Amino acid sequence: MSIFSAIRSLASAFLQRGQVHREMEEELRSHIQHRADDLQRRGISRKEAERRARLEFGGFEKFREEAREALGGHFVETLFQDLRFSVRSLRRTPGLTIFVIVTLALGIGMVSGTFSMVDALIFRPYPVPHPSGIVTLVSTTHDSSFDDFSYREYLDLRDKTQSYAGVIANSEMKAVGFSADAASTPRVTGGMMVSGNYLHVLAVEPQLGRSFRLEEDQVPGRDAVVVLGPEFWRREFGSDPSVVGRHVRLNGVQFTVIGVAPEKFPGMQMFDRPDFYIPLAMAPVFSTDIQKNFFEDRDDRELRVSARLKPGATLQQAQNELAVLAKNLESEYPKANRGRGAAVHTQFEMRTRVDDANWKFTVIFVVLSLAVLLVACTNVAGLLLSRGRARAREIAIRLSIGAGRGRLIRLLMTESLILATLGGLGGIAIGYAFVEWFHTFDQIVLMTDLPLALPFRMDTRVLLASLALAMLSALLCGLAPALQSTRVDLVNGIKSAEVDVPGRKRMWGRNVLVVAQVSTSLMLLTAAFLMVRGFQRDLQVGTNFQKDHLLMTTFDPRLVQYNPAQTQAFYKLLTERLREAPGVQGDALMQNIPLGTDHFDGLAFVPDGLQLPRDRENFTSTMDTVDQGYFNTMAIPILGGRGFLQSDSAEAPRVAVVNEQFAKHYWPGQNAVGEHIRLDSRDGAVVEIVGVAETIKNENAADFPADFIYLPLAQHPIARLTLMVRSGGDPVQLVQTVKDAVRTLDPNLPMIDTRAYEEYYRNQAVESPKIAMKMVGAMGLVGLLMAVAGLYGLIAYNVSRRTHEIGIRMALGAGRSEVLRLVMGKGLVLVGIGTALGLAMGFAVERLMNSMLFDAGGVDALAYVVVVPTLFVVTMLAAYIPARRASRIAPTEALRYE
Amino acid sequence: MTDQAQLLPGTLDLLILRAVSLGALHGYGILLRIQQISGGALLIEQGALYPGLFRLVRQGLLKANWGTSENNRRAKFYELTAAGRKRLREETDTWNRLATAIASALGTQPEEV
Repeated sequence: MSIFSAIRSLASAFLQRGQVHREMEEELRSHIQHRADDLQRRGISRKEAERRARLEFGGFEKFREEAREALGGHFVETLFQDLRFSVRSLRRTPGLTIFVIVTLALGIGMVSGTFSMVDALIFRPYPVPHPSGIVTLVSTTHDSSFDDFSYREYLDLRDKTQSYAGVIANSEMKAVGFSADAASTPRVTGGMMVSGNYLHVLAVEPQLGRSFRLEEDQVPGRDAVVVLGPEFWRREFGSDPSVVGRHVRLNGVQFTVIGVAPEKFPGMQMFDRPDFYIPLAMAPVFSTDIQKNFFEDRDDRELRVSARLKPGATLQQAQNELAVLAKNLESEYPKANRGRGAAVHTQFEMRTRVDDANWKFTVIFVVLSLAVLLVACTNVAGLLLSRGRARAREIAIRLSIGAGRGRLIRLLMTESLILATLGGLGGIAIGYAFVEWFHTFDQIVLMTDLPLALPFRMDTRVLLASLALAMLSALLCGLAPALQSTRVDLVNGIKSAEVDVPGRKRMWGRNVLVVAQVSTSLMLLTAAFLMVRGFQRDLQVGTNFQKDHLLMTTFDPRLVQYNPAQTQAFYKLLTERLREAPGVQGDALMQNIPLGTDHFDGLAFVPDGLQLPRDRENFTSTMDTVDQGYFNTMAIPILGGRGFLQSDSAEAPRVAVVNEQFAKHYWPGQNAVGEHIRLDSRDGAVVEIVGVAETIKNENAADFPADFIYLPLAQHPIARLTLMVRSGGDPVQLVQTVKDAVRTLDPNLPMIDTRAYEEYYRNQAVESPKIAMKMVGAMGLVGLLMAVAGLYGLIAYNVSRRTHEIGIRMALGAGRSEVLRLVMGKGLVLVGIGTALGLAMGFAVERLMNSMLFDAGGVDALAYVVVVPTLFVVTMLAAYIPARRASRIAPTEALRYE
Repeated sequence: MTDQAQLLPGTLDLLILRAVSLGALHGYGILLRIQQISGGALLIEQGALYPGLFRLVRQGLLKANWGTSENNRRAKFYELTAAGRKRLREETDTWNRLATAIASALGTQPEEV
């Protein structure tokens, strides 16, 4: 039979199923009529003849079924039959069905949520045509396998290699002041300096205007042209097509817009979305260090180099070629390139490099979520098994009246397929919700002006992977029960439901699983609870400074090429102007703000008159550089001595203020004011401690009190500073005041991360930790649900297996409560063991968390008082439902088939 | 009924093809024809005929059309297709070779070895 006719017969059989079957039945009846005609001719009455004809024909149903099968189109048809039947039988046990679906949905949801991260972090190809040809070139040393290249080295790579269709270079620019025209205040943006061939080699065609010309990247500082990023164009110019040819200002320098990158090219980086691209030749305009010569210095390595492989060139060829080139460079420039090699990496290699935190994070999450899915599948298999047991008699009857085992397995598999599909859809919904939920944190996690985006999303690839996984889990959790429940002893199967004696081992495995789930979920719930409670305590304790009515904004005058003298003059003038401005009640400059994202610098010092331990040369403490307005504006009480004064100038004797913790640490029971420390070592500069300030929380809201030193700005100049302005009313109303003050000084200087400090604080110190708590809590709840499913499945399975035994017990006079106790006993033991283990783990986690995060306040009894009974009640409820069913077994029912 | 032989597996299709090769027949007719040409020596369950018929139709060896029987009843008449005729020839040859071989094997006398 040709494939064509097979398909045609299948198709026609499928399309005209109804008609074909009617015809078939008519044919079979016609046969019986003909036979009856013959018999009647032999003198038998018509009625008797028809009866005999039917008998001679044999099992009408059986042959009809076989004939249907022979007709073709059978697979599709039985599939529909199975589907209909499965839906009906699933609807008969709605509770169990929903429970199975929810369990699977959680398992799959965890995985698809994780997949969306894995996809974004590892697998998603570059958003360019033929992304697989793009490789990354890295410089290697003993210490680093992923170094960047210098400009000179890039030129060598570009001109002395044969394996590539093009070699490109780029360098990220963070915090560039952008203004659409000379009149408006600059905003902070992030861009990318790229080689002239960058867009061309990546095969990215601008959606508007043109790309760079090669000659635009040749003469340093000549061609001030810029290509805008698609998002930036939308956001900043409202997608105005007339933007091409317009002038914009970057750090006060005029650039001509020549094009807009296409929508589908948000940039090559994972998180950063460049607002604009400019040629490498414009680097001098953005240099923050006048000492360096970007175009000449071979050891000024700031360029990330990528390349597109020539068609036919292999990675190995490129690798060999590069190794030779690196050797040549090393002998040619022994000073700059000593011990320096080079390597080529694919996108996948770059993303899965060992030192990458994303990769580790991804692996951990994938393993965790797959484990959850596996547990979910095991539990569902357990539930289905208990269901299969309950249906053992139905299955035995089906087998004995001629249903094939394969056909029955198919039926049961159809059931689990339906469950898995629904679970899969639910899982995708959960995964989607998870990703959406995660995106609600964008503003919290990425509290910055820079163009950043979390690239997690549910795309087709993730959806397909999730569905495939759902099917796989259908196989995983459906096959074992299907195989087992169709492998029954027919005679006993029909007589009773006592058909098999499960091996002790298997039960043992399931017991362990239930115990593990109970204990893990207890631990996670305890951890979440502890985190919430500890955190609340922390917030109550407070930070010891006033967070409200503060406006913060950051300046970096190096961005507009100020030298140190100009920088300090700018800050001095700025604070003077602000002090005269209406509504400003105080102002302060500081290197780092309390509870910010940046880490404080460390300061090495030696306290005068203190014996150093022999094995160390100095002590270290975290520090901040602040001006004389700091303690007043931040409302940090000075406990002894004084704060900084105008007179603590660069020429005056060096002074410092320490916090109370510091003072108590080095001069316990004494007055630290008037003591001296030396910077760096015993022979370092002498600094007098002039004041002791109250200890505030600096690094983290969950901090222990830590040593802290404040140095005066005038004696310790810093270029990048944050300004805090205290207002009488809403701090945001002062934004314009500050803007005006800055504009009169320099209209090109951008203000970075301008916002109310309290809002910033809430995000950083309150909302971010809450994300972690929510995640741990959610995991604990998922764990609890898994434990409930596992326990329920196990007890239900036991009940169905022991129905007969329970019937006998009840017939012999056992009461309901005794049966209940009998069945629940097992669950009680498992939950008991799980709880004990979970408590032990919970204590361990609490100790760990106390040592890391919170005040070591000993055991938080409330956490256990709440969590343990809750867990106990919920799990016992899971055991109670099947147990109650067991206790309702009517002895007559259970023994009927004896 | 004891003198009737059970069909060997796979031979029903061959018998159907042979019966139909002598002229278009409906299902019951095929049954009678097989009994007639086999001298009533073969036992065929009546219902078992139909799965075989449908299978042959699906394989394109038979084609079927509704018509009216000699009893003036609606019935489906089967006839061979070209492919069916070819298959019948091949199967007949195969069967004959097999039958001869088995018969000669079974008919071998001790002294002939």
